[in-house]
Amino acid sequence: MNRYLGFSLGLLLLAGCSGDASEQGFAGLAGLEQSAAGETPYLQPGPGDRLAFPADFGPHPQHRIEWWYLTANLETTDGEPLGVQWTQFRQALQPRVASKPAPDSTAWPLQAAWMAHGAVSWKGKHYFTEKLARGDMGNAGATAVPFQVWLDNWRLQGNANNDRWQLQAAGEGWSYDLMLAIHGEPVGHGNKGFSAKSAGGEGSMYFSLVDIAITGEVVLEGKALEVSGKGWFDREWSSQLLKTGQKGWDWFALHLDSGDKLMAFQLRDDSGSFRSGTWLPAEGDPIPLSSEEVGVKALERRKGVPVRWQLSVPAYQVNLELSAPPGDYLNAGLYPYWESPVEVSGSHSGVGYMELTGYAD
Amino acid sequence: MKRLMSLLPSLPALPIPWALLSHYRRHPLQLLALATMIVLATMLWTGVNQLTSQARASLEQSEQTVAERQQVVRDNGQALMVEDFVSLRLAGVCVMPWLEVTPASGNRIIGIDPLAAHCFGAGASRGGDQPLDGKPFVDMSTAASAGEAHLYLLTPDSTQDSDLPAAYHLKTFATGPETGELGDSFLLNLEALGVLVLLITALLLRSVYLLGLAQRRDSFALLHRFGVSPGQVQRWLVLEIIALALICVVPGVWLGRWLAAGLGGGFGQALDGLFDIPLYAGHGQGWITPVLVMLTVVVIACLGDLLLLRFRERLSLSVPNQGRLATALLLAGLVMAWLAPSLPWAFVAVALVFAGAAWLTPATVTHFANWRADQSKAPLARWRYRELAVLARRLTLPLVALQFALAMVLAVQALVTTFEDTFDRWLAQRLEAAYYIEVPVGADSRKAADWLTSKQVSNPGMNWHQVIRGSTRMTDKAAASSQQVDVYALAPISTLITGWGLLEAEDHPWEALAGNKGVMINEQLARRQTLGAGDTLQLVLDEQTRDMRILGVYPDYGRPVGEVLMNAEALPENFIARSESFSITPGELGITPVTDGLKRIWSVETLSMRDNSTIRELATGVFDQTFALTRAMTLLTLILAASALLMMGWVFFTTRAWYFRLLVVWGMSQQEVAGQLLRLALALTGGIALLALPLGVWLTWVLVHRINPLAFGWSLPMAVYPTFWLELGALSLAIGLSIAVLMRRQLGKPSVAPVSASALTGGER
Repeated sequence: MNRYLGFSLGLLLLAGCSGDASEQGFAGLAGLEQSAAGETPYLQPGPGDRLAFPADFGPHPQHRIEWWYLTANLETTDGEPLGVQWTQFRQALQPRVASKPAPDSTAWPLQAAWMAHGAVSWKGKHYFTEKLARGDMGNAGATAVPFQVWLDNWRLQGNANNDRWQLQAAGEGWSYDLMLAIHGEPVGHGNKGFSAKSAGGEGSMYFSLVDIAITGEVVLEGKALEVSGKGWFDREWSSQLLKTGQKGWDWFALHLDSGDKLMAFQLRDDSGSFRSGTWLPAEGDPIPLSSEEVGVKALERRKGVPVRWQLSVPAYQVNLELSAPPGDYLNAGLYPYWESPVEVSGSHSGVGYMELTGYAD
Repeated sequence: MKRLMSLLPSLPALPIPWALLSHYRRHPLQLLALATMIVLATMLWTGVNQLTSQARASLEQSEQTVAERQQVVRDNGQALMVEDFVSLRLAGVCVMPWLEVTPASGNRIIGIDPLAAHCFGAGASRGGDQPLDGKPFVDMSTAASAGEAHLYLLTPDSTQDSDLPAAYHLKTFATGPETGELGDSFLLNLEALGVLVLLITALLLRSVYLLGLAQRRDSFALLHRFGVSPGQVQRWLVLEIIALALICVVPGVWLGRWLAAGLGGGFGQALDGLFDIPLYAGHGQGWITPVLVMLTVVVIACLGDLLLLRFRERLSLSVPNQGRLATALLLAGLVMAWLAPSLPWAFVAVALVFAGAAWLTPATVTHFANWRADQSKAPLARWRYRELAVLARRLTLPLVALQFALAMVLAVQALVTTFEDTFDRWLAQRLEAAYYIEVPVGADSRKAADWLTSKQVSNPGMNWHQVIRGSTRMTDKAAASSQQVDVYALAPISTLITGWGLLEAEDHPWEALAGNKGVMINEQLARRQTLGAGDTLQLVLDEQTRDMRILGVYPDYGRPVGEVLMNAEALPENFIARSESFSITPGELGITPVTDGLKRIWSVETLSMRDNSTIRELATGVFDQTFALTRAMTLLTLILAASALLMMGWVFFTTRAWYFRLLVVWGMSQQEVAGQLLRLALALTGGIALLALPLGVWLTWVLVHRINPLAFGWSLPMAVYPTFWLELGALSLAIGLSIAVLMRRQLGKPSVAPVSASALTGGER
């Protein structure tokens, strides 16, 4: 979700472009802009909102921000762990009712902007590329049916049943072409998909696909590697997630060897942290975790970034230690943030991904 | 006694500083003169420096803006659409849209997409990262709604043709003429002159300061009698000049910036007009650099004696030895300038020559005056020459400053005129026709040529030729070597180019070229291969070496590549053209029927066309403004130097008024004395102008023929302008005349005892 930061700062370009430099506080999401009379307002998710499929795989043009986010803990045929990230963000500059057709591309409209991040982490090396595009032109976008998300020649595309996806992306020195087998139903976080992001009630609609089997090929510096493993896919959208003063974000998504899964995050601010998460037992329904139920503590830092964490959910006898592998996993885009695979030890073993923002300075 | 009394009361309380400052209380005009000189000198140097750095920044930005880039175009020559942008991006090609719109009312605007520019990486700063807070760069959506637009798709230099999908290819993209090294060269010269301005400034400051010191020697002697050591006096003098410099430098820098802003405004506007973008860097250097530089200059210029006292004592040379050393410096500088292998050596050579000239000039005038005095039988003439010798000795610094200023103005005038002329011809050569129309890839240029020929019959005012550019090899049988040269082939040889000035040529060279009887070569090739009109060169065409007679050599204005201008008929069928275009001046027919006709013939919707008349008009405006600016700054230097000499001359003449009045005692009328003074002053300033002349011409030569080739590898033609010499001579005489007029008024006032004159450095009989 750090992604918010990166994305909103990426849009500084657009501030110049559109001439209305927004003063939107943290991540550009601090406050809802008042819509002038007659103008389409941004929609803000609330606790009563519900997820709808397959429509929610597609874009939400009346919301300010959304993303499609895949992280994958893979292994090469030699058993070497390899991490993959692919993310695509959409930021609205002007909200549009979903039923309304997109503006004519010949007018080079500026209602939305897209940003994509691709990264591969292997043997302590981290490859990262960032792409930007103007919305409604055709070279960047997303559709729910058929499911596809693309920006230039990067593309995530589903089959007719939307249970087999293909992901292709390439940057300098790296590329991947992965096949994703989607198992299980989407998991709505928080209150049936509404995920609170502060005690004040700001939040987003947030669901994940947590059981994805991945196979394919990753090419690094011209060397092709056959890979396989498991992935975690997030969909999230909102118009107001965070409040001013929140300094950063720590997010974790873990595949435990016991078959359980855990998603947890904390938003840091001066007065403490707002925590939340979802416990996904191997058997049974997902269980939302409140701020009090999740314990998060940084144990060790590398160049100012916490790379070893203690994550606990006492109610379910979870007490984990998460460690990033050696290396620098900073995604050095318009707004740098840390995105690395982690190894899980402690009460459970496993693998996962963590995403840390607000430490780059 | 009165002076002594004025000093005494203040001694017990704050003895030394107040005693020193009391001089200025009694002679406020001297303080004012020193302060004014520091302010003016600071203003001058800051202004020149500010303008030079801003001009450099502006030209660099303009170069960057119009620099040649790469674009993607359709193979079929059709206009690019949004769909092309999308399909190229989807294919993974980094392209950035560049939407040019010229609204019915208003200037051209360019729509860009910063998001698409992101893939350019650091290179995106050429356009993508521009602050989009004004024209011409606006967001694509704004540009698209402004009127009929032309879409270009720019791509990074790293993109290869093989990266593109079928139906597209790469092509160069340029938005205007590049001044290239010509502009750099001009700015380098301007900077060299800026250093000279600093030197002149230092000389002027030093001359005024030394005059003030001489006027205060009585005070110093008195303090010494009261037990104040010379060291104490010197320390207080250091503090005094630093304090004065601090007070005066700041307003000087402010005035200099104000001057630069005033003069530079026009320059900026001209640049704005050319590129439709605020290019003129209104934010030149800050305050700290000019303030520190000027403080250093003031301190060194005024306190150099104190700082170098020991060194000077060790180096104390007899007068003949000083002359020999000065001559040696001068000669060493001259030889070094001739042989200088690199730029630093050339600058050292200039410094040596100026140092030698500064040392020799007053001595030369003194020797000449003494020699003339010895030769003269008439007592008045002898008196006048002896007086001239004294003046030359005692006004050394302002005279040298004036000499340097005159030499600099002379060099700048020659340089600016040369550059102006060169720019004119450079523009004429590059923009010989009103329009350039590129031949689309795959289009038949012969059909177009036939059609243009038929059109020309019914429109005699129309002029055109086809341009084919490519390259080939030139062999040297004797050396068994070959080198690549550019080919610039034309057909027909139209009157658009026959007006070019040739450096050397055979008889009727253009007719011979039209008859395919030879080729012409550019200056650079002629110099490198020591070729000239009438010689023969061997070109490899169609895998055969052909002997080509050289019909003429044309100037290349800094183009570093060897080039052969030939009749396109001489090119073999299989010659690979890098580009093909038509240069067309449509005359009364107008360009629209021509473009319509060519579109029809080539079956394309749009043509890649450049309107040269607009570019020429704007470019000329920019350069004119730059030259006007340079002239204004040099004129200011001259005025300052002249004012310093005038002030010094007047002060100095005043100290010798008692001696001048002796002429009246000897029986001459006031009128006759004034006449003698006039001749004296004119001889002094006229002599300096004469001595400045060779220095100025030499400086021009060094800038044009030594520094420029060393910096850029090519040379400009050097011209001399005797009319301007006469103008400068007249100006020098006007300064002398002004001094004489002031002296005449001074002679009318009551006389003072010569003791005051003796106290000054002018106390010679």
